Amino acid sequence: MEYIIHLIILFGIYGILALSLDLIVGFTGLLSLSHAAFYGIGAYAVAVLSTTYGINFFVAALIGMSVAAVVALMIGFVLRKFKDDYYALASFGFNVIAVSIFLNWESITKGPLGIPGIKRPELFGFVFSTNTLYMILTLALFALTALFVWHITKSSFGRVLRAIREDEKALEVFGYRITRYKLAIYVISGALAALAGALYASYITYVDPSTFTANESIVILSMIILGGLASLRGAIIGAAILIALPEALRFVGLPMDVAAQLRQVIYGLILALLMLYRPKGMYGEYEMK
Amino acid sequence: MGIIPQIIANSIIAGAIYALVALGFNLIYRATNFFNLAHGAVSVVGGYTVFGLYRLLGLPLWIAIICGVLGSGLVGYILEKILFLPLRKRKSSQMVLIVASLGAFTIIQAVIAIIFSSQFQTLFDSSMETKLYQIGGGIITQVQLIILIAALLIMGTLAWIKERTMFGKMVSAISDDAVVARIVGINTNKLIGRVFFIGSAIAGFAGIMIGFDTGLEPTMGMSLLMKGVIAAIVGGVGNIYGGVLGAFLLGFAENFGVWQVSGEWKDAIAFAILIFFLIFRPKGILGKK
Repeated sequence: MEYIIHLIILFGIYGILALSLDLIVGFTGLLSLSHAAFYGIGAYAVAVLSTTYGINFFVAALIGMSVAAVVALMIGFVLRKFKDDYYALASFGFNVIAVSIFLNWESITKGPLGIPGIKRPELFGFVFSTNTLYMILTLALFALTALFVWHITKSSFGRVLRAIREDEKALEVFGYRITRYKLAIYVISGALAALAGALYASYITYVDPSTFTANESIVILSMIILGGLASLRGAIIGAAILIALPEALRFVGLPMDVAAQLRQVIYGLILALLMLYRPKGMYGEYEMK
Repeated sequence: MGIIPQIIANSIIAGAIYALVALGFNLIYRATNFFNLAHGAVSVVGGYTVFGLYRLLGLPLWIAIICGVLGSGLVGYILEKILFLPLRKRKSSQMVLIVASLGAFTIIQAVIAIIFSSQFQTLFDSSMETKLYQIGGGIITQVQLIILIAALLIMGTLAWIKERTMFGKMVSAISDDAVVARIVGINTNKLIGRVFFIGSAIAGFAGIMIGFDTGLEPTMGMSLLMKGVIAAIVGGVGNIYGGVLGAFLLGFAENFGVWQVSGEWKDAIAFAILIFFLIFRPKGILGKK
């Protein structure tokens, strides 16, 4: 039972990551490989603020989301003119730089050793101490995120994003300030990823730079590509499958190292085979152009 | 002996290795117009083939190296035939090709880690003589000297192929306009298959050289690939000479940067250069082709 709860918590965290990444990749059509950087910013914000300064989880999470938003604004500004391969590459570069900062800014992040002993969240004296309680918190925040993302995609703002994806030039002719829209969605998406990071840090109670490498960005990307781009249902189901599928390997009884690598093989196969046979993914409403 | 000549020597060696990766990458980019991210993993295949044949099975070194180079070439060729060619035939977008190559990258890297474990290995063994050469105040090892000479030879040969042979001219034709190339009777897919083989074999050679110089790790493909891609973009993507120029520039920037700040920032420096070029001179120093 503990194990199932663990998986559900992971699902909640990755669900938030997948939904927020889908806003950029699926709805706006920009192949971002920087999501793990914002995930890491949220996690480190909670880790540093709660261990060193004893700040409450929820306050720390909000600070982390704000920091991620500011960073996203800056990175988004650099990325605003890129498309396709260059966008993917430059955003990947920012992920690498972010990991370098996590690794090397030792006075704050403790470098490769990471930060242990992160406390569980507390709200008005009530501590989310057990995993069951934590699962409820995670699922609640996941549901809020899903609702929020759903609202965005149904709003006129969401329609503009989809229009950017389909035909940027035409939209410009109509007088839309495309850069502002792209920046706005990147900032929102980054802040949501930071929320997932905050949940992760407080759940695992330990953070280190290796969790937030560009590889993690690829894993999140696999989830939404599997589920299908620009589909909220797709993002959620994709996250669920990619959390559950590798867990099945656990029961085959392979050594840890091999099992971890087999996971990677599965992610890679999913990406390659989907591109070959079903680029739309399971429920995709948008095929990559 | 001053430190500056040593840094210059190190920069040149790093530049030579990046140049080999960039050469293969650019060659493939010229013919297919997409960022083949699997290129980094293909390079690692060469290093590990030599490790397996020479260090584990005890075959003569020269046989192992030839097999390593051919092995990488073959892997690249197979990827083209089973993955990229079908995708191109379906007129898939760049995004689809990038994601597919990302999948291939992940699979190859994980398979290597399963076969050889993710531990750090070196091709260099104690029986090899470590001769040191002093050139202009900087010290380089015999291996590094071989890397440098081999890299220069390969660059020269490629330049000759490009300028003087029918094959080189046909590849240029494809990169200018694939449709016209087909109309005038060039078998484009056959040619692109060969380009993949050659480009991947060169990358494999780079992987082997790194195995002798610093050592092998299954995950090194990503950073190697990125250095190659950055070199290519800095010099002018798709431009064979630009890639070499960019590689040496990157080698110098990294080594002097590391001297000024610290070793852990190497990757961040490389990506900072990339982002700088993407913003201010996206066509690279020499421009495309």
